[in-house]
Amino acid sequence: MPETTPPVTTQDDARPARALRLGVAGPVGVGKSSLIATVCRALADELRIGVITNDIYTDEDARFLRSAGVLDPERIRAVETGACPHTAIRDDVTANLLAAEDLEQDFAPLDLVIIESGGDNLTATFSPALVDAQIFVLDVAGGGDVARKGGPGIGRADLLVVNKTDLAPYVGVDVEQMVADASAAREGRAVVALSRTDEASVAALRAWLLSVLERFREGVHVAQDPGPMAPHFHADEEGGVLHSHGDGDSDHEHPHEHAHEHAPAH
Amino acid sequence: MTFLAPHPATVALLLADARLPGGGHAHSASLEPALRGGMAPADVPAWMVGRATTVSLVEAGTAVVTARLLAGAGPVTAADAGGPDDRVDGVVRAWAARTPSPALREASRLLGRGYLRVARTLWPGSAAVRVVARHDAAARRAPGAPHGTGTPPRAVVLGAICAAAGMPPADVVRLTVYDDAQTAASALLKLEPLDPLAPARWVLDACAAAEEHVLRVAACATPEDIPASGAPLTEGWAEAHAHETQRLFRA
Repeated sequence: MPETTPPVTTQDDARPARALRLGVAGPVGVGKSSLIATVCRALADELRIGVITNDIYTDEDARFLRSAGVLDPERIRAVETGACPHTAIRDDVTANLLAAEDLEQDFAPLDLVIIESGGDNLTATFSPALVDAQIFVLDVAGGGDVARKGGPGIGRADLLVVNKTDLAPYVGVDVEQMVADASAAREGRAVVALSRTDEASVAALRAWLLSVLERFREGVHVAQDPGPMAPHFHADEEGGVLHSHGDGDSDHEHPHEHAHEHAPAH
Repeated sequence: MTFLAPHPATVALLLADARLPGGGHAHSASLEPALRGGMAPADVPAWMVGRATTVSLVEAGTAVVTARLLAGAGPVTAADAGGPDDRVDGVVRAWAARTPSPALREASRLLGRGYLRVARTLWPGSAAVRVVARHDAAARRAPGAPHGTGTPPRAVVLGAICAAAGMPPADVVRLTVYDDAQTAASALLKLEPLDPLAPARWVLDACAAAEEHVLRVAACATPEDIPASGAPLTEGWAEAHAHETQRLFRA
């Protein structure tokens, strides 16, 4: 393991020796930066937080977060991605990994480093080599049918946020239906319908993050890879099953094994 | 049990492949700073030849000398595991003296860090790689110490990898020149509208222009031998680019 990457655990026990690294992905304009500002506002008093942004062409996201006044501006850093935001979070995480290490070293100790992906398409997800957990963000203004379209982020990110629920009446979207669609696509994984003006929804986001952090600190959190593949259909004699990679396939059996490595981030 | 090693030419192919995850995709080999600084897109082919025969040779010479000095590196013992390395220090100093722009030095050191991750993961048993990693760690611990020349730039880490792989010096030079030209060519497609095949031609032209220098640079044996062919305009553009807020590329 490279010396520049701190080990996941200390020598004494299974507890992590570094901050929880949380990825935030989703299409352009769904409110990723705003969600991060909301997280900082809700948790900055009790957690030591750093943020890395991956804006495609500017440091606009970093400047937005700095101007939001929710965090010491020096704890928010922008990383260039060579016009390939999806590469920077998946195929070659070097720039983000080095930035996360620097942030953790310069402001040690940090509890949480949030890495914001440059807005990308529905297939862009973080590699578990970069983050321990990831949030995929959609918004109601993007259309009520997006959650049904699925994809690795929608289906298997650790948390799906349906953002800007306060806009639903103006864009003709049924939030409950959208959340129900998302929950079905996610086979029960966590979904939060969020509006930064709805305190109960912010509390739900906060509680989710704290629960992940607690599991991470206890050394029992395992980074999951949403994977690049969408759920797909296996035809068989019983009529076939809809098969989703990246999770325990406990509710159905089929004859072939899929080997997946779920290495923890390091 | 027999340990099979890849042919040095295969290692060169791996290192020249943009798909290798070493952090290079966020860099433009000084092209974005040049275009932002006012260089006409039509001048890119000539500019690429200029790089291949000046700054690329500085990088290549740095890698060649590193590889030569570290080729016979013995195993790192526990006794000297904590200190900087005089051989690496000498090369880093020579490289820094030939790279006046702080922005370019910083960008190259960032690439060096990414390359060191590659090197340590793929050649964990190499003494040359360990010596550079050890020097990097020492420079990080004491940035202001007498050995405070800073962490190794990309060319020094490349040299360690080439020592580990047993790559012939002339191929180290060609690899360095090619990688720089191809990095600029790839970045150009993100910055200017053109037929994607056009810059591929310019990569070959730039490499051909460097060919007459290959043997001379491949013969470099000491830090003093490293070419000192600079490109002042590139240095200036790099400084201006480092202060911009709207960038696709790190440098």
